[in-house]
Amino acid sequence: MWSLLHSLRAVQRFRDYQPQHVSMASVGRWIKQLKTKEDQKLAWMLLKRVIYLSERETKTILVHQNTALMENLRRAGLASNKLIYISTDDAASSSPMMLGMLRNAALLEQQGCKFLDGRDAMGINKVTAKVQEGAIIYIDDFVGSGNQFCRARAFLMQNVVGTFSEFLLVPSICEEGYARLNELGVTVHAGHIHAKAERPLHRHSHLMHSEGRERLIQICREIRPNASLGYEGLATMVVLYRNAPNSVPAILRGSDKQDPFYGLFPRFKDLPVKK
Amino acid sequence: MPILKPSHPEVAPVVPSGQLRRLSVDEIKPSTNNPRLLFDPPQLLELKKNIAEHGVLVPITVYQPKGQAKFSILDGERRYRCVVDLTNEKHVGKDGKPIKIPANIVEPPTMIAGLLYMFSIHNYRAEWELMPTALSLKIVMENLEVTDNAALNKLTGLSERQIERCKSLLEFPEKFQRLSLDPDPKTRIPSNFWIEALPVLNLAVERIENVKKLGRDSATDKLVEKYRDHKIKSVIHFRRIMESYDLSEDDAPLRAKVVRRVEQFFLNPKLETREAFDEFVVDKKRVQSAVAACQTFLAELRKFKLRYTTDDTERKRLQEELIAVQKYCRTLEEALEGSDSPEASSE
Repeated sequence: MWSLLHSLRAVQRFRDYQPQHVSMASVGRWIKQLKTKEDQKLAWMLLKRVIYLSERETKTILVHQNTALMENLRRAGLASNKLIYISTDDAASSSPMMLGMLRNAALLEQQGCKFLDGRDAMGINKVTAKVQEGAIIYIDDFVGSGNQFCRARAFLMQNVVGTFSEFLLVPSICEEGYARLNELGVTVHAGHIHAKAERPLHRHSHLMHSEGRERLIQICREIRPNASLGYEGLATMVVLYRNAPNSVPAILRGSDKQDPFYGLFPRFKDLPVKK
Repeated sequence: MPILKPSHPEVAPVVPSGQLRRLSVDEIKPSTNNPRLLFDPPQLLELKKNIAEHGVLVPITVYQPKGQAKFSILDGERRYRCVVDLTNEKHVGKDGKPIKIPANIVEPPTMIAGLLYMFSIHNYRAEWELMPTALSLKIVMENLEVTDNAALNKLTGLSERQIERCKSLLEFPEKFQRLSLDPDPKTRIPSNFWIEALPVLNLAVERIENVKKLGRDSATDKLVEKYRDHKIKSVIHFRRIMESYDLSEDDAPLRAKVVRRVEQFFLNPKLETREAFDEFVVDKKRVQSAVAACQTFLAELRKFKLRYTTDDTERKRLQEELIAVQKYCRTLEEALEGSDSPEASSE
């Protein structure tokens, strides 16, 4: 009975997860891989702590944060034609998708804002030289440790000419990434700052009793020995409709190619290739 | 107190806002350049010790970009980094509080003033990627309408040789420049590729009918293709082509053979540089003779015991000759710079 309720709740909450449809069957398949009632109970507890951002919520957060940022910048003397929005990753990945979503939802193009791919060094050089003074606004869907963002920024900043303030618009960011970007002087506008305390499997969290946490960590190690708690052991609990970050615990993400362990939130690249 | 003195009438000076404030490290935005790469660690350590003892005595210069809460540094990155280190080490000032940094607040610099400041920083960094520097130099040249190397050297602090190298990069069309701006180092074409390829391209496009017919861009594409296919294993191997050509100057049949080989090199994607040109370059013998000549020259000079020459006219004449030797040696030394490692060049 409890299992049925948990499954129904999961299907309802995660209904627009794109890489793999969350259905009664997929939730059932996932939970049944855990052999004991105790393990299943722990898994349900963990699932309850997932912070899920649906497409609608993601869009709402981005638009609201952007509206507030644009207003601040306008007051500081920067009109919308002085704003350069930059995606920081490959064309098919999250950052350009978020930029596309915001661009359409907030009618940024019509307002004269500029858009650039962070990998287009020549474009960055030309546009910043033309604008000369303004704001660079990076867009992404999630920032964990901030390593990937910092690498992308270091590359593109080589080609920036002129005086620009820097901002990051992101639906959710880990507290580690937030601190790092703050040190760099990139102002973060986020809908949610993901604290370590919100992550049951993180050593700084007390959301779960220690035996239960140790047991789940052990299961994660069996699934992905080298990345049991995700990238840099962040053990994040944020899942976005488009993809789960690579920092979620392995029990949620599953094995590579979903074999032998089937995850509820595999990333696109974790899925088996359909023949 | 302006710190950027305009060295060109078009460059606006830095305008002070009349504020001197004491800022905490949290109020300052670091530059994207890591001073540990820009400055010698012993110098930084010495400065840090000094600041730990006396605090920051000379104010740094900062400005506040529009919309940004933190101040950006225009001058004083080293002092700032030292204070950050000291703060992280829980070091406190004489008042028992974290060290604060005196800062002159100035208006945001113009694009050109900012660029010139960046040049002054990057000069310390030998490994700085050359293509972004070249693009910035292009902006300076276009905005200030200055193209003379000596004038650009005065403005940017870049050596005339660096300026010449940047200008070589700017001779290539944008589609090729982009290849050196690829974020992925595995697929990026190193800036040196273009600099080393330029004389070969000029030679081939001007002197070889079939390459001329191909057109400059297609000929360049052929070289890029060869490099990606490891048929040019190191960018420095382009020098073998030019060396082969130069060495055949007084030998018409040999010159014709070299020209034919250059043509084949462009048209045959499988032909590797050394395989194609090593036969024309009797490298070892010439280098050995040159090394011997250097050693004899030094030994002879020492033998003459010239240090105590007293006659003014003789001394002046000798000095002039030595300067000429020095100048030639410097040019030769610079021309010989570069790596012959295929791994290093493909990074």
